[in-house]
Amino acid sequence: MKTNFRTAVLTVLIGAGTVCSAVAQDATTILQKMDEVMYSQKDMTGKNKIILIDKAGKQEIREATIQQKGTDKRMFRFTAPASQAGIAFLSLPGDVMYMYLPAFGRERRIASSAKNQNFAGTDFSYEDMESVPFSQKYTPKLIKTETDAFVLELTPKVRSDFSKVTVSIHKEHFYPILMEYYDRGGNKVKEAKYTFKKIGNYWNPAEIEMTDLKKGHTTKMQMTDVKYDTGLSDDAFTVRALVQ
Amino acid sequence: MKAKITVLLFSIFVAISGKISAQEENNIKLSGELLTDQRLLLRDNNDWAWNENRLTLKLDKQISSESKFYSEIWLRNIGLPNAVHSSSLYNKGIIDPYNLEIREAYLQINGFLNKKIDLTLGRQQIVWGTADKLNPTDNLNPYDLEDILDFGRKRGSDAINLQYYFNYDFSVQGVFIPFFQPANMPVGIFADLLNPSIAMPQGMVLNNFSDTLMMPKYNLGESSTVGLRFKGFAKGVDFSLSYVWGYDGLPYSSKNMLTPVNMNGETNIQSELSFMRNHIIGVDLATSIGGAGVWAEAAAFIPDQDMVMTTDLSALYPGSPEPVTQDSVLLKKNKPYIKFVIGGDYFFADGSYLNLQYLHGFVHERGSEGLNDYFFLRYEKTFFNEKLKITPIGGGFIVTDWGDINENYAIAYLPEISYKATPNAEITLSAAIFDGKGDHLFASLKDYNMLMLKMKYSF
Repeated sequence: MKTNFRTAVLTVLIGAGTVCSAVAQDATTILQKMDEVMYSQKDMTGKNKIILIDKAGKQEIREATIQQKGTDKRMFRFTAPASQAGIAFLSLPGDVMYMYLPAFGRERRIASSAKNQNFAGTDFSYEDMESVPFSQKYTPKLIKTETDAFVLELTPKVRSDFSKVTVSIHKEHFYPILMEYYDRGGNKVKEAKYTFKKIGNYWNPAEIEMTDLKKGHTTKMQMTDVKYDTGLSDDAFTVRALVQ
Repeated sequence: MKAKITVLLFSIFVAISGKISAQEENNIKLSGELLTDQRLLLRDNNDWAWNENRLTLKLDKQISSESKFYSEIWLRNIGLPNAVHSSSLYNKGIIDPYNLEIREAYLQINGFLNKKIDLTLGRQQIVWGTADKLNPTDNLNPYDLEDILDFGRKRGSDAINLQYYFNYDFSVQGVFIPFFQPANMPVGIFADLLNPSIAMPQGMVLNNFSDTLMMPKYNLGESSTVGLRFKGFAKGVDFSLSYVWGYDGLPYSSKNMLTPVNMNGETNIQSELSFMRNHIIGVDLATSIGGAGVWAEAAAFIPDQDMVMTTDLSALYPGSPEPVTQDSVLLKKNKPYIKFVIGGDYFFADGSYLNLQYLHGFVHERGSEGLNDYFFLRYEKTFFNEKLKITPIGGGFIVTDWGDINENYAIAYLPEISYKATPNAEITLSAAIFDGKGDHLFASLKDYNMLMLKMKYSF
């Protein structure tokens, strides 16, 4: 009897282990699928309309062009308002970032600590603007399955300003719907709402609404004129291109 | 030979025309800024220290996908009315001083002759170096020292600028500036800041000083400047090596003729001011270490010939059969001096920013003995999504003699608050507080502490 009991406990433990492993496997797979949806294109060009909305509802609009190749090359150039037109950012592999200020007349290397900061007065950080796959940055755990979405809890693999991020991922198309960012004290500090639209073979984040819950400030980033896989050359992601 | 040059010029003309007419686009962009910069002294009657109202017009025409024309013009009302006689009232230029300045006007062709070559032709700013505004290796454009508080500002040069890209990471740049343009000196209350004090021989008193500027002859050999720069990126480090053969834009006194006026020792000095040509070898780098931006830059200045100041005392010895002169070697041809800067910056998660720089040798300093040490610090923090920026700590500490710091130092404190009232309108309120002892530039500004208000509208 004692032997049977031991066998039963062992079976349950093995079973539980298998279930846990399956869940972990699922979370990893789900996150990888989300990365595929977000980053599978070879390159992308588009226009970006950035709407800053303060607590009182007052809006400010900025416009930019964006070019991206793979997951680690990106050129972002402001076209409006006049005070910012011409300011450009180039991100390259290995945390190498340059900024071009027309008034400065040359490129300037940006300290990688800039990644902690908000990008050009928006509620997005430089890190949010990167295209590094989430599965590279976070360890996922499936915490809930809703009617339309999987909810994952992501724990940063390296030191971060956030203790965790929860992400709701569309069950059928695997794009993110909502991301919630928690500080080290466990308080929700930021949330991003995504609206995806299909362009050709790819799902495109037509609008990302990022809200800083502490400040009550929101930034909407809307993408238009998006083109995928146009064969962008590496020439477009050089300091030479940045300063021209 | 003449035929070869004609063929070469014709080929260049054809190449330029081809690039420009390839895909003519009608893409003209006019933008600019309206700036008012008002400063008043923090003493006595709060005299006005600076009045500048500037309209900047920028015209950017994309001629084709590979070429563009860019120009930047300043139309300014600068200075205060300087009416002394009634006749001045008939002269608008005196009552309401203004000027027009072409800062830049150039044609840029990318992929000129070869897809790896970029050509920029015309008046342009060519900025070298990796440090923040204080760049010892940046010696092509003449200094614009008009506003001494905006140090690092330069004027455009009429230049031919070719850049060849070996690949994405390495390039070489060649610059030719056909004629020399000297630096323009400070104006208004800063006008005398860079004038050296004149030490008169014992028993003499200066009665009158006059000078003659000995400009280099305007021909290709004597007035041109040449620059060459190799730039690269390896192992996460941006670096460059550079060479410039050109003139120091600030003149030195090459000859002083002393003439006695009376028996009381009053003496006139007639001075000849010349420009020294230097070979300048530069090196700079920039990288990111542990999240912090780090940069370093150094330039060795090698005078093309000995810099000699001759004092002619012949007028004091009328009976002498020979001219009575005395030579002082200010800089030796074979003795280079090195200016350098080391700096870093860091962005904090709370939106604040720290920038530190140590500079050895300011813009106007020359010779190993004449270089001073400058420590600059700026801490700023932004609020309300970068609408408000406060710089509570900004400025520098300067040591002119480490052996006697108490008597030879200067402090410049430059706090600032700027607010973006609209996306295109910015108001900046700042102060400039100076203190120090000794004869340093910044120490001599201690009577000019001022409050500054700038308003800028971009369109």
